[in-house]
Amino acid sequence: MSEEYTLVRDIVYEHNERMHNIKKYYPFFKLAETSFSQYKEGRYAGLDMGYIVMGVIRFFIEENNFREKMVTYPAYAGFIHEVLVRDFELILPEEEEAELTSYIFDKLRNDGKPFCYEYFDPAEKKKKNVRVRLIHNKLENDRIVYYLTGDAIEFYLDTKEIKEESNITIAQILLEKMISNKNFKGGTEVVSRINSEVARLISKKNEILNLLGYDVFEGTKAYEEFVKNGMKWFEEEQKLFLRNKQLINRALRAGEQDNRYFEAMDDIYHLEVQLNHAMKKHGELLSACMELQKQTDEIITGTKLNRLKRSFDFRKGLADIMAGDNTELLEAFMLPFRKPAIHKLFALTMIDNLLSCRQEDSEPAEKSRQPDYKEDFKYADELEEERIYENYSLFFKVLLSAIRDREHLTLGEWNQILIESCGPSILKNADYYSFLVHLCQKYYYNLNQIKDQPETFLDEIIQKMTEEGLLTTGDCRFSFYIQFEGAEAWESDFIDIYGNEVKNIEFLTDGAAVGSNTRNERNGDGNGR
Amino acid sequence: MEDKNLSKALEIVSRLLKGEEVGRDDKGSAGLYDEYVNNGEVYDITMEICRKLNLLVFEHENSLYACAGENNRVFGYTNDEMKKEIGVRLNRELFLCYFIIYNIITRFYNDTGSYTFTEYIKAEDVIHAVDGSLSSVMRGLSVVALNEVEEHSFKTIALIWEDLPMMSGNGEDVAVRAARGSKLGFVKMTFNFLVKQELMVEHEGRYYPKKRFRGMVEHYFEDYKGRLYEIMKGEA
Repeated sequence: MSEEYTLVRDIVYEHNERMHNIKKYYPFFKLAETSFSQYKEGRYAGLDMGYIVMGVIRFFIEENNFREKMVTYPAYAGFIHEVLVRDFELILPEEEEAELTSYIFDKLRNDGKPFCYEYFDPAEKKKKNVRVRLIHNKLENDRIVYYLTGDAIEFYLDTKEIKEESNITIAQILLEKMISNKNFKGGTEVVSRINSEVARLISKKNEILNLLGYDVFEGTKAYEEFVKNGMKWFEEEQKLFLRNKQLINRALRAGEQDNRYFEAMDDIYHLEVQLNHAMKKHGELLSACMELQKQTDEIITGTKLNRLKRSFDFRKGLADIMAGDNTELLEAFMLPFRKPAIHKLFALTMIDNLLSCRQEDSEPAEKSRQPDYKEDFKYADELEEERIYENYSLFFKVLLSAIRDREHLTLGEWNQILIESCGPSILKNADYYSFLVHLCQKYYYNLNQIKDQPETFLDEIIQKMTEEGLLTTGDCRFSFYIQFEGAEAWESDFIDIYGNEVKNIEFLTDGAAVGSNTRNERNGDGNGR
Repeated sequence: MEDKNLSKALEIVSRLLKGEEVGRDDKGSAGLYDEYVNNGEVYDITMEICRKLNLLVFEHENSLYACAGENNRVFGYTNDEMKKEIGVRLNRELFLCYFIIYNIITRFYNDTGSYTFTEYIKAEDVIHAVDGSLSSVMRGLSVVALNEVEEHSFKTIALIWEDLPMMSGNGEDVAVRAARGSKLGFVKMTFNFLVKQELMVEHEGRYYPKKRFRGMVEHYFEDYKGRLYEIMKGEA
């Protein structure tokens, strides 16, 4: 059971770490695959990218770590030129070589992007992406300089050494064995590797200090890791250095006194110089790490103090925003850096409107608005007037013809005539009564005079009837009287109309009125009512 | 309220809206600034108008500066407007520029109370600062779970930044254009924006902070720190 558990744990839970550890090898194999057979019609198929990669890394270590200077592009180009000529015996025209050098450099830098590969993490059940670079760049005094990444150095050292917690310790033990075996030349190489490892640790220390400046928490973690993996070996390394130094001194003394190592003396001197250099650098690393310890403490104390102050701490603010992992929050911090926006942008949606805007000829002509009112519209009072005119005309024509036929006509008789011609409902018509009221305003009607000089409302209607030809020529010369007092011929002074008693009146033609003297005497002025 | 005071207050607001300075040392507005300081009514009207217009006004070293408040639809900027102002195309590029601006602040200030007395900064300082700030995120990027990088995550910014070359070409051409193709180009674009907003002034590749920059940083972050902490806690 426990064996099975161990097996699963090794496979599942350690897979991630293993993948992480092998990432430094990935760029090499990726680059080694690069075949020059496709480039420039295979003219450079003889070049070996794997060899070039190793060479360039070694060159960078030499420059970055031993000579402590960054590599510029021209320096790299010079090195590649040497490799091409010395190892591949390739002598090219300047332009062609520059092109090839640039091609190789782009490949080494993977066009500025990290080398990536994917793997499945069975513990988290997720696909993960590993990113690793060989060469990085930075800006120094307005020019770009290149340097090896930690992964690249580690890769290079791993190609010949077994990686342990402290490369320096391993190298020292190796050195000790080499000196014991009188392999001084090999010892020099080992010391070179110690130097490069020391340089790597120094650059690591600088990285941690940089990180501490921005993110105390992450920086502290990195610092602790550094102490665990690097600094704890320093004491051991110092001891080993001293022992190796003693060994070399002994070898030197023996060589000088006994002339035993005559041929190897140069190598021993060289080894001594290298070792001294390595010890000096190691000493520097040691003091830098002591300084790092002090600076870390200072930074942590400063951060603690800042937390107590009331001012806005930008570093902490940034750490908090980054902890929230939402870049949108940065928006709020940008408010003061923007002047009020008074210049408005042309909205992009307006372009759509412009594009869909129709041409003039395709536009429909504007329609003139039709009047939505009727030209023959009549107001209520006009309708009333028309009705009154029609009714009055009818009443008057009926009256006129009845008077002309009979010469004498009473209101009762006229009513009967109207009922006969228009039906009994005529007596319910309000216009009939208003007609009577208007009619009785005068006792004498001479239509010839009225045509020229209308006096009353009814006169005007009569005039209009004349003009419209509703009255015959005979009618127009006709005249009649209205007698308001009862005569012998009347059946009664009052007549009954729908339960109402109405004063009876009599209509007379001129001829019928000749003998009636009394009427004129009673109504002298002609305005009887 | 006197018409004269209203007129002066409106003149002050008008200048502030245009992004102009109202200050004792500015010949064109020294009189207005004195009115603002000495005449209570002018002060009240100015502040009331600005409050109603959602403008934030800051007084720094005898000068007044204004900026649009949070969610100001009239005088604020949309993301699209900001992208156009700076010259980037994508939201994540815009946020990278914001991040760069924030890092520029940190080069001059540790906190609102302590100016670092840094006289000027250069583009390469900013690149180092951004490298440093993103280093913790970048460490995590050596192994990234695919499909987990969200648009508004700092990993997105770090990925853009990390994948950018230091400058276009092989570094022989020092006069790098402000463009999105390289780290230096991005930083220069951001600086151009700050120069345009009269927050900085450039001289031979050195960027010096102007009074407006210092005023805004010292007062905005000090006066609105409560709100900023709320935002950081996600209480937007």
